[in-house]
Amino acid sequence: MSEPLDELPADEALAAEHALGVLSAPERAQAELRMAREPAFAAHVEAWAARLAPMLDALPAVTAPEGLWPRIERALPANDNGSAATRLWRGLAMGSMALAAASVAALVVLANRPPTVIAPQAPPSAGELLNARLDTSGGQHLFVAAYDPVRQKLIVTSLVTPGSDPVHVHELWLIPADGKPHSLGLIAPGTSKSMPMPEGLEKLAQEGASIAVSVEKPDAPKHDRPMGPVAAIGKLAKI
Amino acid sequence: MAATAVSDPLAELLPRIAAGDRAALRQLYQATSSKLFGVCLRILSNRDESEDVLQEVYLTIWRRADRFEASRASVMTWISTIARNRAIDRLRARGPLAYAEQVDELEIADDAPRAEALLEAAQSGEALGKCLSELDERTEKVIRTAFFEGVTYEALAQRMETPLGTVKSWIRRGLLKLKGCLEQ
Repeated sequence: MSEPLDELPADEALAAEHALGVLSAPERAQAELRMAREPAFAAHVEAWAARLAPMLDALPAVTAPEGLWPRIERALPANDNGSAATRLWRGLAMGSMALAAASVAALVVLANRPPTVIAPQAPPSAGELLNARLDTSGGQHLFVAAYDPVRQKLIVTSLVTPGSDPVHVHELWLIPADGKPHSLGLIAPGTSKSMPMPEGLEKLAQEGASIAVSVEKPDAPKHDRPMGPVAAIGKLAKI
Repeated sequence: MAATAVSDPLAELLPRIAAGDRAALRQLYQATSSKLFGVCLRILSNRDESEDVLQEVYLTIWRRADRFEASRASVMTWISTIARNRAIDRLRARGPLAYAEQVDELEIADDAPRAEALLEAAQSGEALGKCLSELDERTEKVIRTAFFEGVTYEALAQRMETPLGTVKSWIRRGLLKLKGCLEQ
C-alpha cells in the first residue's frame, strides 16, 4: 500500500461491520439483502468473515452431548422438507391418485420414521384418500395427515422441530361434524405416526371432519377435549 | 484454519452432503461437532441452548451444503461462521435485558480465555491473533466482544458509556489496521 487509507472504503467497512456483527437488526437485514443482490458486496462480507474466523479456532473444543446426532438425524427430512412439504401439497392439488399414493409414501420418508412405520402396501381405491394439512393461525403447516378410509388408517407427520417445546406434549384430535372432539393420542415433534382409526370413530372420519393438535401439559389429567391451546387444525379433504 | 488451506479433507464431504448423503453429514459431524459446540458454548454460556443451536447448525449445513465454495473458504471456516451466527441470533433473541445483565460478567469472563487464546495464537504463529494483539488493548477488546457476542455499536456504546461515533471510529480503524496487518 503506497498510500495508506485512514478508513476502509464505505462498502467494505459496512461488509466488515456486518461480518463482525455490530450492525443493528434493520441494518443487518439490509446488508443481507445487499449480499443477495450484489456479489461484490457479498464477497467482501465473506472475506471479512474468513479474516475474523480464526478467533474461533482458539476456542477449546467441547464434546457434544451423545444424543445429539440421533436428534439431528431424525430432524433431517422434516427440516429439509419445509419445501418438500410444499411440493407435496402442490402435487396433491393436481389430483392424481398416483401422486396421492406417492405422497403418503413421501409423508413416511419425510419423517424418517423408524422401522415401525407402516406404509400403505398398495394405493387405496381411487377417490378415497383424504388429506389434511394442519396450519397454525399464522398459516404455517405444522402437521400433515393422510387418512385411508378403506384401511381405516391414519398417518400424521409432525413438522415441529424436535426439542423446540420440551415442556409440552402434542395431542391429536379428530373433530367431526358434530364438533365433539375425540383424542387420537400423542404425536412426538418431528416424527410421524401411523395408526388405525379407533373403533367407533371410523364413521366420523369423513371429508370435512377436522384433525387438530393441541398443546398439553404432560401431566394433565385425562380429558375428553383439548385442555391446552389448539396449535394447528385442518380439514380432511379429498385429493 | 490456515492449515486447511492446502488440502481440506472435509471439502470432499460437502458435495456429498449437498446430494443428500447422510453418512457424509455424520462424518462431518464427527469431525467437527466438538469444535462447533465449543463455539456455541463460548457465545451462549448455556449447554441446553448450545445443543439446540448446534442442531440447527447441522441442519443448516444439510440444506446449504450446495452453497459452499471451496475456493472461498475452508469448510471449518464456513461452518464455524454458521455456528457463530446462529449462536448470536439466539443470544440476541434473549432480548436487551440479557445484554444488560452481561455487562459485569463480560469484564471478568473475557479475560482468562483471551489471555490463553492470545498465547496459543502467538505460539502457533497464527496471524489474526498476532494482528489483534498489535491493536491497542481497548480496540482489541471491543472487537473481540463484538465478535463473540454480536453486540451492536449502540449496545457497545452504552456499555462503555462512550459516544456512538467514537466506538464506531475505534472499530473501523481497528478493522483497517487488522486488514493491513493480515496482508503483510
